[in-house]
Amino acid sequence: MMKKYTATAIVMAAALTLFNFGGALADQVTLRFSDWHLTEDVWNKSLNEGMDIFQKENPNIKVVQEPVSYAEKETKYTVESAAGRAPDVFHVHAFSLPMFFGKGFAKDLTPFIEKEGPKFLDAWYPLAIDLMKHNGKVHAMPGDYMTMVLFYNTEMFKDAGLDPNKPPKTWDEFLSYAKKLTRDTDGDGKVDQWGFGTVGAKSPGFSLRFGPFIWSFGADYLTPDMKGSALDTPEAKAAFAFFVELYTKHKVVPPGLTAMNPQEVRTQLAQKKVAMIMGSGWTPPIVNKINPALNAFEVLSCAPAPVKVKPATAIWLSSWVMSPNTKHPSEAWQLIKFLTAKDTELKWFVDNRVTSSRKDVSGVAPEILNDKFASVMASQLPNGKVEPQIPQWPEIMDTFTTSLQEAIVGMKTPDQALGEAHQRINAILAR
Amino acid sequence: MRINDRYMWTVFVLPAFFLLILVLGWPAITSILYSFQPTQAGATGYTLASYKSLLKDPFFKTTFWNTVVFVSFSVGSHMILGLAVAMVLNSALPAKPMFRVIALLPWVVPDVVAGIIWKWMYNPIYGALNDLLIKVGILENPVEWLSNPKLAMISAILVNLWRGFPFVMLILLAGLQAIPRHLYEAAAIDGASKLTQFIYVTLPGLRKMIVVALALDIVWEVRRFGLIQAMTQGGPGILTEVLSTYTYKQYFQFFRFEYASAISVVMTVVLLMVSLPYIWMISQEE
Repeated sequence: MMKKYTATAIVMAAALTLFNFGGALADQVTLRFSDWHLTEDVWNKSLNEGMDIFQKENPNIKVVQEPVSYAEKETKYTVESAAGRAPDVFHVHAFSLPMFFGKGFAKDLTPFIEKEGPKFLDAWYPLAIDLMKHNGKVHAMPGDYMTMVLFYNTEMFKDAGLDPNKPPKTWDEFLSYAKKLTRDTDGDGKVDQWGFGTVGAKSPGFSLRFGPFIWSFGADYLTPDMKGSALDTPEAKAAFAFFVELYTKHKVVPPGLTAMNPQEVRTQLAQKKVAMIMGSGWTPPIVNKINPALNAFEVLSCAPAPVKVKPATAIWLSSWVMSPNTKHPSEAWQLIKFLTAKDTELKWFVDNRVTSSRKDVSGVAPEILNDKFASVMASQLPNGKVEPQIPQWPEIMDTFTTSLQEAIVGMKTPDQALGEAHQRINAILAR
Repeated sequence: MRINDRYMWTVFVLPAFFLLILVLGWPAITSILYSFQPTQAGATGYTLASYKSLLKDPFFKTTFWNTVVFVSFSVGSHMILGLAVAMVLNSALPAKPMFRVIALLPWVVPDVVAGIIWKWMYNPIYGALNDLLIKVGILENPVEWLSNPKLAMISAILVNLWRGFPFVMLILLAGLQAIPRHLYEAAAIDGASKLTQFIYVTLPGLRKMIVVALALDIVWEVRRFGLIQAMTQGGPGILTEVLSTYTYKQYFQFFRFEYASAISVVMTVVLLMVSLPYIWMISQEE
């Protein structure tokens, strides 16, 4: 009799277990998550650890990762969104958002945010939230939020007789430093080290690095109403000519500028071919990865972008988007909420050195305030400026870079090239 | 149920036909329709606005002529090098299979990978090419292969020559192997020199294969994208911008779907015109 009861109990327990297990499996939701950081060694490890935490907290949600290269992310998300098959959650630059908003490729997050309570968005910097809005409603959540600053190699400063504790404060001083840092180090009569490395290729990274020049000179790309080009001002001409002449006249930038993308410039810094670059939170870990022998976290230092007329720099802001085609919006929101939560944002900083768009992280976390790089970046947030959030911006920037390259390689004078950019940008805006 | 033999062909042809309609016809029709759609948000109906904009776009005109230059020199050099290598590989060469594999290697490398590799080879600071040319005394100082306005397009074409000649070589090698040996023997008995044999035996024997290689290579090179995108993104300025990179930019970076579709339609029409001799030749054979 006892045996019979035992057997019955075992069968029932097994049935219940199977039933529950089957139920759990049946309830499990699969989310597609895509981020260009998944292709980067340092970030990939960090994101995988983050996903493990998320899946432990949300056993009913399975996250499938879809890596995409930095250059191809817009292509992938555009094609997939147009086909109604975009990843449930994906990561883009804030300046790409207007195009996604305009095509209806980002889901309105307002209903989810309202459920979180009226003060939910107070944790973020207001500017970051404003940039996520389309027709007054939040269509994305802000992620990394950093200013561009001047990174420099302290050892190369010392070798050139410069005090590493006194980085250049003005662009004139910067030029004088760059000239001293441009040297023939092996005595063969040829320059083999340059003062400044920068992006000159048609890359999204270019505008981030040119922003501190144009804005600090008191100029801007567009008029305040964003309906016309503002590149015909003396300030814009001065900023443009200053940048071009770093290469053409002063020769403090390495050869091949028009083909240089951000990774190549970071490689130049890692290999001690250049002494200064514009960068942000991602710079030290990536440079360290390229050349661990440099000891980047020790040797590199950073300072606010030099000033001409006023302190100004570019702000990097990324954003998390939910596809309007997602079949699991609640679970996708859970994932976005996790990716932008206070603890998670702090983890992104500790692992990847990127500061957060959350005030309760970037503004108070001791890890950030005591970090020699992050503290400088955070101090520059009041001087930070974002690129115009209009759908024509990528085309305007491509036009601007095209003209800049024509001036750099000597096809046109800086004034001619800038004049053409001014006309073409006006034509784009008038279209 | 037994299908009448008269209609049996439909069973074999229709699946492939519908598959072609799905993967080729549908995107093509969608793209054509897109090209006639208005660009203003909320506007409906069809318009020629994108095509009118094309005519006024100075970048499009420059890009079109850049494409003509890029394709002409790429295809021309592919034909010359492809034929030369095919003739060497068709001769009594020791270790012929090994040389055939080596000659095919550039064709195996994906476009973007080839572009990235050559961008590093051309790098003025770290690049192997400058280093080699300086060491053998040809250059005194490094050359900015991709940033010099006089060299950027030539540098891109040189990489494309390396990347694309095996395709032409393969077609012409097949053609060379089909030329009967006795024609060469008869020409030799008649006292024809190697050059005369090449002009009167080899070239006529290869005529059809040359047309095939020309047509296919032109189509292939007009669509060439990854190589230039990885090396120059169309720069400096727009000196190396070609139709494929310009279309990509318009579609995926500027989100101008209608305009990008109009460029694609123009590209397709041009390519169809270029392919007509090939299509005509195939139809004549049938």
